[in-house]
Amino acid sequence: MSVEVEVNENDLAEMVEQVWESYLDPEGVSPLIPTYDENQPSEVHSSVCITGSWTGHVVYASSTRAARRAAGAFLAMEPDEVSEEDMSDVLGELANIIGGNVKAMLPPGAFLSLPQVVLAPETTARYPSASRISGVYGLWDEEPVSISMWHSRGDTSSTTNTTNNNKEGAE
Amino acid sequence: MKILIADDSRVMRQIVIRTLRQAGFGDHDLIEAANGREALDMTQSESPDLVLSDWNMPELTGIEVLRHLRAAGNDVKFGFVTSESTPEMKEQAESAGALFFIVKPFSADRFDEVFAPILG
Repeated sequence: MSVEVEVNENDLAEMVEQVWESYLDPEGVSPLIPTYDENQPSEVHSSVCITGSWTGHVVYASSTRAARRAAGAFLAMEPDEVSEEDMSDVLGELANIIGGNVKAMLPPGAFLSLPQVVLAPETTARYPSASRISGVYGLWDEEPVSISMWHSRGDTSSTTNTTNNNKEGAE
Repeated sequence: MKILIADDSRVMRQIVIRTLRQAGFGDHDLIEAANGREALDMTQSESPDLVLSDWNMPELTGIEVLRHLRAAGNDVKFGFVTSESTPEMKEQAESAGALFFIVKPFSADRFDEVFAPILG
């Protein structure tokens, strides 16, 4: 049995809803419509790595249009005024906010990395020994957006300060 | 009053500034730091009345900035605006001398609630 995951899809969905309410859709007119399709395409993504009491990644992925729109909403700009830097910063912040909220629900002793942003599809990312354990997948004004959690199983070189008595990889 | 906003995310600094304005605190002098080291240096050189700091920043984390300041005898009003929030972090913040702990995502109402007693 692996480390118990205390963050489920409903928790993730709640965090996502808060981000939409606070920043992306304060008027409540364009929510993320669930598709439940974990294979939906993306063009850009951002992630934070969590290590310690739980090891894995939280990944935000979307189309470029959705990322532009998110940046516009965050920065109170029109999407076509958004620069690539704006878009990268907002993608990073989205991963950071959701990752931070995820971390708050994990057992004490988890550490959050700074966000990483990649202006390429999520499928270009490979997280060693990690498998997707939950996610929220949807369309935001017909553009794909997803937030997923990846759990790194067993000991990996990216894990810091984990002890050998943590033999959860047996499964 | 002079308020220093310390966050490595430019976007988040802008959002904090916008939310301060929405909450009615836009008339204060708002200055920005892009990492923990800059936050520490600017707090010492610019003497802000209040520091709003992210937790997770390059160079120095927010809590390290606060500890450095207190160790140097600087008792500027200091609080965190962060996406990370665990009971241990809140405890660390409080024992280091932080006045408040605001979790992202936040609203103008939350800013008003926290800052009205501090900023008047």
